[in-house]
Amino acid sequence: MLCSIVPPYMLRRIAAQSEPRLWAVARAAKESLLHIKDLQAVRAAPAPSTPPSVVAAKPSPPKRTIYDADTSENLPGRVVRKEGAAPIGDAAADEAYDGLGSTHRLYAEIFGRDSIDGAGLALDATVHYGNLYDNAFWDGNQMVFGDGDGEIFQRFTKSVSVIGHELAHGVTQFTAGLNYRNQAGALNESMSDVFGVLVEQYLKKETTEQASWLIGEGLFTDKVQGAALRSMKAPGTAYDDDILGKDPQPDSMDTYVRTSADNGGVHINSGIPNRAFYLVASELGGNAWGAPGQIWYGTLTSGSLPSACTFGKFAKTTAATAEELFGVGSVEHDAVLKAWETVKVKV
Amino acid sequence: MKITVQRSGGIAAMTRVWSVEAVSDDDKERWMPIVEACPWDEAKSQARTVNEPDRFMYSIRAGQRRATLPERAVTGPWQELVECAKAEGSESRGRLGARR
Ligand SMILES: [Zn+2]
Repeated sequence: MLCSIVPPYMLRRIAAQSEPRLWAVARAAKESLLHIKDLQAVRAAPAPSTPPSVVAAKPSPPKRTIYDADTSENLPGRVVRKEGAAPIGDAAADEAYDGLGSTHRLYAEIFGRDSIDGAGLALDATVHYGNLYDNAFWDGNQMVFGDGDGEIFQRFTKSVSVIGHELAHGVTQFTAGLNYRNQAGALNESMSDVFGVLVEQYLKKETTEQASWLIGEGLFTDKVQGAALRSMKAPGTAYDDDILGKDPQPDSMDTYVRTSADNGGVHINSGIPNRAFYLVASELGGNAWGAPGQIWYGTLTSGSLPSACTFGKFAKTTAATAEELFGVGSVEHDAVLKAWETVKVKV
Repeated sequence: MKITVQRSGGIAAMTRVWSVEAVSDDDKERWMPIVEACPWDEAKSQARTVNEPDRFMYSIRAGQRRATLPERAVTGPWQELVECAKAEGSESRGRLGARR
């Protein structure tokens, strides 16, 4: 049963809206289009229980809880700040609280998404994890932030792109479920970098031209020769230090790194799809959370990425999503094709 | 016997390597029980368990034995071995990967 009363050509036009406040509607329209495609493909299948709706449900406000592990490795630790409570004066805890809020806001206001799982999931984060712990991670349920060793790294909550990065791992887990290994893993990492920088850019209201496109800016101590962990604009140039060595990210398939370390180089080869996203944003100009963000978010949530996705399959899906949202031969569609060509991924 | 602990991954993806060369009889006597206590055979199946995003991966070698473990699995005797190697080993920062 085809329940949508809005004809596909009209959905397509709604989907192509450039007004930010209409994006949630545009997204729902796009989902309806994909839904129609599915229905056309499996007409014989039983009718879906929930018909597509053009009006997206309004995302709920965030439900944040910040915990303190007191330098232990026990999760989640003791509660130090709940939703709506005043700042507690602990920099890491307050930065985590604000960063979760900024991340929730980007998904709600720009993508019409109700928290990480799309169903109002409570956002939990633990700070002061471990002793001089040099890392931040998503454990499948919550975010975890270390204080850094003070020699190379400062506390990991200092960068809002890092907070956005961790939460995006949650979004990927609840949507495409990309494996955390090899190319699928590098795409998983790239999704986190893309939505991590978008959280920061949306918070600072920075255009593509104004933004740094750096992941983890300000995390290094003064002793390190480097600006950040990674650069999406110029992968391989974020740091060059006597002790740390040089940023190992490739910026095209010509320099793809084969390694068994880091789950097959997931944080290394992510430089390639990262740059593709930057190139689309750069080509289109303006706000990266606009058309570029819509295309990438649409791809992530399209339901057509396999868990063992390759760069090629991902690139094809971004092109299909751009075509769906903006039409064949649109500047957006062309920008996507050109970006993948530049980083030498075949679409 | 050479003992090497390589830690890769993490959001920063900076590889660190700690190595210990147990050459003297005293050294061997001290390190052997630490190495022998680890369940090397079980590690093969643990290497396949899904790693959590941005957590560290450990590649551990002791003589001919090897194991790859996600950070979450580095507990008990593995944790003992890793902590000892970090405390006593000489450190080098591994450059990730010869490029193709
Ligand atoms: Zn990550």
